[in-house]
Amino acid sequence: MKIMDFLSTKAVSANIKSADKDSVLKELVGVLIDAGDVDKKNKNKLIELLKAREALGSTAIGQGVGIPHAKSDCVSSLTAAFGVSKKGVNFESLDGEPVYIFFLLLAPQDSAGPHLKALARISRLLKDKYFRESLKSAEDEKSVLKIIQQEDEKKI
Amino acid sequence: MAIKSIKKNIIVKNKQGLHARPAALFVQIANRFDSQITVGKDNEVVNGKSIMGILTLGATRGSEIVLEAIGSDAEEAILELERLLARDE
Repeated sequence: MKIMDFLSTKAVSANIKSADKDSVLKELVGVLIDAGDVDKKNKNKLIELLKAREALGSTAIGQGVGIPHAKSDCVSSLTAAFGVSKKGVNFESLDGEPVYIFFLLLAPQDSAGPHLKALARISRLLKDKYFRESLKSAEDEKSVLKIIQQEDEKKI
Repeated sequence: MAIKSIKKNIIVKNKQGLHARPAALFVQIANRFDSQITVGKDNEVVNGKSIMGILTLGATRGSEIVLEAIGSDAEEAILELERLLARDE
């Protein structure tokens, strides 16, 4: 599975402005709505689902990466939004580090398999420090996309 | 204390495999021990104290992983981690 299989080219933000956890979740859902990947009417529901998931334990997975996620049938297949915060956000990560790189993942109910594969793919790419650093310093959405697409092609 | 090395093959029992939450729990437990801990699957071996590392494996329910702990508390570490992986949730 490739990142670009579940990330649409429009669902990308190179400049996440929110400074706290709840606002970031809202902003990322907004990115998905603006991209046309989810309907605006689902906005509040999705934010609540994402918050509920965070309440079970932070989805920050270390190295400045966060993968907020939820299951909802307002998407028919795995759908992601990507965002970079220049300042970093306190996301209650286990390692105490702020989160700079966000992958928001929405999966329909009963999609444990694809969800796990997507998490594996995201982790595989983001384990690379150079990749993370280039994403953090990307100037705009176009560069972010280019960096992700290149890495997605390069890695098996 | 003597350095021990313990290796154990384990079948993942968690319903949805090693997704984000069990991976985070795994790392939280692993970090309580001084031993070096790794998790292997197929031809890949990752750091058992890294959530990202564990997620990389994409271990589904029923898949076989190899836990290895090296250190003075290796035995306890494997015991605790095995207990987590045997949970059916």
